[in-house]
Amino acid sequence: MAEVSEPSAVPGTEKEKKPKSTERPDRGYLVLCWNDPVNLMDYVTHVFRVVFGWPKARAEKHMMQVHQTGKSLLTRETFEKAEHYVHQLQSYGLHATMEREE
Amino acid sequence: MKFLPGKKSDALEQSLAFSIDAREEGLLLAILRLYPVLPASHHRLTKDPKSAAAAEQRLLEESMAQQKAAHKRKLDELFLAPQRYFKDGPEGQRRLALTRSQFEWLLQVLNDIRVGHWVRLGCPDLDQTPPVAANRANARALQIMQLSGAFQSALLEAVR
Repeated sequence: MAEVSEPSAVPGTEKEKKPKSTERPDRGYLVLCWNDPVNLMDYVTHVFRVVFGWPKARAEKHMMQVHQTGKSLLTRETFEKAEHYVHQLQSYGLHATMEREE
Repeated sequence: MKFLPGKKSDALEQSLAFSIDAREEGLLLAILRLYPVLPASHHRLTKDPKSAAAAEQRLLEESMAQQKAAHKRKLDELFLAPQRYFKDGPEGQRRLALTRSQFEWLLQVLNDIRVGHWVRLGCPDLDQTPPVAANRANARALQIMQLSGAFQSALLEAVR
């Protein structure tokens, strides 16, 4: 399996770009799932279906994208929703993160 | 371990049943006793540590720690009263019966054990042969990973 690659869109790191906790209404946060050689493909598909309520075909498409390209953009959300999804995905042990969209 | 298909309404809402023999039951319980393996600090909210607010990262770790504690309590209940989960079936067969929420819980627990041992091994590329140096501790960790994965696959048959 492919090594875990770095994100192509590195989130802003300057202090002034950081969102304030009370000002995060925009859907500018990306929820990404990253490839690893340990999570089973069927398991990843199942987790996507449970967390996002996706049909099997859509969940499998994202799972394959993770497997083949190293990552998949799962959804673009507000800070709070993105954080919620990352918590859910990580509770299943998936390598998921949220990144600020540039 | 093998999924026992029931009525469709059962599979979607109610209990899921799996046939399991005595050896598998013993192995499953032995593996589950290893939980938790993955430390809460393993979970990272973002790839870029500079953009992660410390409060939100701490929240994630606390959330994972709370979830692991809840999972551990449920496991302790299972170890105290395994007969609530493992039941005698027809013709001397044993059955593992799970509600849908227990099913998700068991998947998460097994995955923690699998991923946790992979992390302990240094996150090796599992496609390499051998993925890690050959020694007794590594062989044991790999075996636990394989067994956890096998039980996960058997469980996932129910939703395939």
